[in-house]
Amino acid sequence: MNDMRLTERKVDSKEIKIEARDVQVFYGDTHAIKDVNVDILDKTVTAFIGPSGCGKSTFLRTLNRMNDTIDICRVEGAINLDGEDIYDKRVDPVQLRAKVGMVFQKPNPFPKSIYDNVAYGPRIHGLAQSKADLDEIVERSLRGAAIWNEVKDRLHAPGTGLSGGQQQRLCIARAVATSPEVLLMDEPCSALDPIATGQVEDLIDELREKFSVVIVTHSMQQAARVSQRTAFFHLGNLVEYGETGQIFTNPTDPRTESYITGRIG
Amino acid sequence: MPALWLAVIVLALAGIGYFIGRARALKSADGDIRLLHSLPSYYGSNVAMLTAVPALLVLIVWTIVQPLVVNMHVAGLIPVSELDEGVNLNLVMSDVRRVAEGLQAAVAQGALSVQAAANIDLGAVDLRAILGSVGVALGSDVTMVTLDAAQQYRGATATGQIAMTVVVLMVALGLMGYTLSKTNKELRARNIVERGVKIALISAAMIAILTTIGIIFSLVFNTIEFFRMYSFSDFFFGTTWAPSFGGGSALGVLPLLWGTLYISLIALAVAVPIGLFAAVYLSEYASRPVRAFAKPLLEILAGIPTIVYGLFALLTVGPLLQRVFGDGGLGWMDAASSVMTAGLVMGIMLIPFVSSLSDDIINSVPQTMRDGSYGLGATRSETIRQVILPAALPGIVGAILLAASRAIGETMIVVLGAGAAARLSLNPFEAMTTVTAKIVSQLTGDADFASPEALVAFSLGMTLFVITLGLNIFALYIVRKYREQYE
Ligand SMILES: Nc1ncnc2c1ncn2[C@@H]1O[C@H](COP(=O)(O)OP(=O)(O)OP(=O)(O)O)[C@@H](O)[C@H]1O
Ligand SMILES: [Mg+2]
Repeated sequence: MNDMRLTERKVDSKEIKIEARDVQVFYGDTHAIKDVNVDILDKTVTAFIGPSGCGKSTFLRTLNRMNDTIDICRVEGAINLDGEDIYDKRVDPVQLRAKVGMVFQKPNPFPKSIYDNVAYGPRIHGLAQSKADLDEIVERSLRGAAIWNEVKDRLHAPGTGLSGGQQQRLCIARAVATSPEVLLMDEPCSALDPIATGQVEDLIDELREKFSVVIVTHSMQQAARVSQRTAFFHLGNLVEYGETGQIFTNPTDPRTESYITGRIG
Repeated sequence: MPALWLAVIVLALAGIGYFIGRARALKSADGDIRLLHSLPSYYGSNVAMLTAVPALLVLIVWTIVQPLVVNMHVAGLIPVSELDEGVNLNLVMSDVRRVAEGLQAAVAQGALSVQAAANIDLGAVDLRAILGSVGVALGSDVTMVTLDAAQQYRGATATGQIAMTVVVLMVALGLMGYTLSKTNKELRARNIVERGVKIALISAAMIAILTTIGIIFSLVFNTIEFFRMYSFSDFFFGTTWAPSFGGGSALGVLPLLWGTLYISLIALAVAVPIGLFAAVYLSEYASRPVRAFAKPLLEILAGIPTIVYGLFALLTVGPLLQRVFGDGGLGWMDAASSVMTAGLVMGIMLIPFVSSLSDDIINSVPQTMRDGSYGLGATRSETIRQVILPAALPGIVGAILLAASRAIGETMIVVLGAGAAARLSLNPFEAMTTVTAKIVSQLTGDADFASPEALVAFSLGMTLFVITLGLNIFALYIVRKYREQYE
């Protein structure tokens, strides 16, 4: 773990974007998330780390109510976005998800052209005034996701014809194109090679200028490189949450230390 | 010995062979399975297979060929003088066979002794009465020539039967002995058995393919026969369908094709939207209990025999339409049978077909697609319209084309719902008919089978076959062309 760049880890913002209070998630009788309290800051990259099956994806999905699509899933507690409870009856999950975008663990481009994939969000939310506008958004998003050069000559080829890593960057471009306020990324780099991973990490760093990013990752190095805050989950509990530098250099909980040094996995 | 008993004996031999072969193989390896090339059961199966299969094949071929040979032999014995005006050989031979069967039955039921049956004096006994008493009724008194021929027939059949028994048993026992003598631990029994299994599977496939080819050929030959008697262009471009069994019929296919097309179009116009929307509801909106209840219910519709739909058309839908569009209402409809009646009912029949196929296809669109769309803030209907339906489209088109093939081939509903008049008209409230309905009516009349009025059924069948084949190929093409994109 020599390449952890732990310098300059100043959190620019102290403004709380998402506030989770006593969150419990159940899948049927399985208690997948237990008593999680966390404050996710605006204009900050927050990393969720933890062993497989500890509930990182589950908790991430509660943040934009993607769990609504799973019949047996039940969420308790409060999650506030800008101070408003997103589980309130008056909140439309569709509008919520336009604000809180998501990139999934497995690339899932639509069976449409590359262009239409990226233009999907802007079109359904009416973000572009004209065709030129839309072209502009598509190009900017694809450049942002570090895939523009590879696809600029075949924007009208099917998105499913790309390689796995390219598909994932396309999905990132698709999520960025809707200009969300929060971007949730579930292991976005698990299918990428080191070069593309580096590009996506640079992208995440740039995205921080505009919105807050929550990223689930299995790579300690990645968490250390891109995030300012880190949350460590274990068996459905949030064990430790704090500045990334402090979590990696000086964890308070023994479980965090064992995980970071590779003893729980 | 009857063929059935023979088959049972051969199978029993094969069963015995299985155990002997297995035991022999084990003995040759001194009971150590690891020294054997194959598992012991393969040695047993090898013996059983070689005992049973060739012998049974001989049995089957013999059973089919023997009557043909005997028939030919006996037919040669009938003097030409017997075949005077109007009596042809086939009729005489069928009498001969009946008498022979009758004698056989009489012996079996004890009405005649074996001796008596072999030496019948037509002057002394009333053979017709005796045969009648054992359930074989004859059209006329038995003549001397017929009786002679029948006795010959019986004799030849009995000889053949004995020869068959001997040959089949010899084949079974011979091959069983030969295979057993070969059975030892070196024999590659597994490979032989696997090859046997492969040949069995290939022959099953061949039977399916050959029957299809046979059906097509019988269509083709009869169609060619028809076009020798009736002009090609009159059939395909003729606009009247007026068969008259006295000859001089007009057999233009266009009114029938038009009827088929019109009724199918109405049926699809009913079935496709309703079926598709039902499928979307079931797969995307319905909660689990509703789905568990509604889907089987919808599929019950698919199990209703089409004749029941036909009755529904005739007794319910037709009169209902007539009340609205008939004389009392708008005045467009003369009778209850109409294109509309048949089309609507056929559409109802096709709904479960379209919906259950489309539902399966929509369900197979991966959940990650939906997640991706919802994750971008799309609503349910946006997701369905822009992601799910395009992804499922090739399958849905396939389902629709399959439904179209069914609509084109449907007969019962047409007969009961659309009437029997072949007509070229645009009015959907008029009676029309379709290709399939006319095939039935051309073949069920008592026309001479060699007349164009009967043979036209085959060329109608051929036309229909080409159309549905084209439709299916087109469906495959669509599915192939778009599928790659979605994987
Ligand atoms: N759809 C579901 N139905 C039932 N149980 C589920 C479902 N999804 C997740 N779980 C359970 O919830 C727990 C947490 O799963 P989750 O996917 O959140 O883990 P994770 O931390 O993301 O793991 P990984 O790092 O392997 O992706 C697991 O025990 C899992 O079995
Ligand atoms: Mg996960």
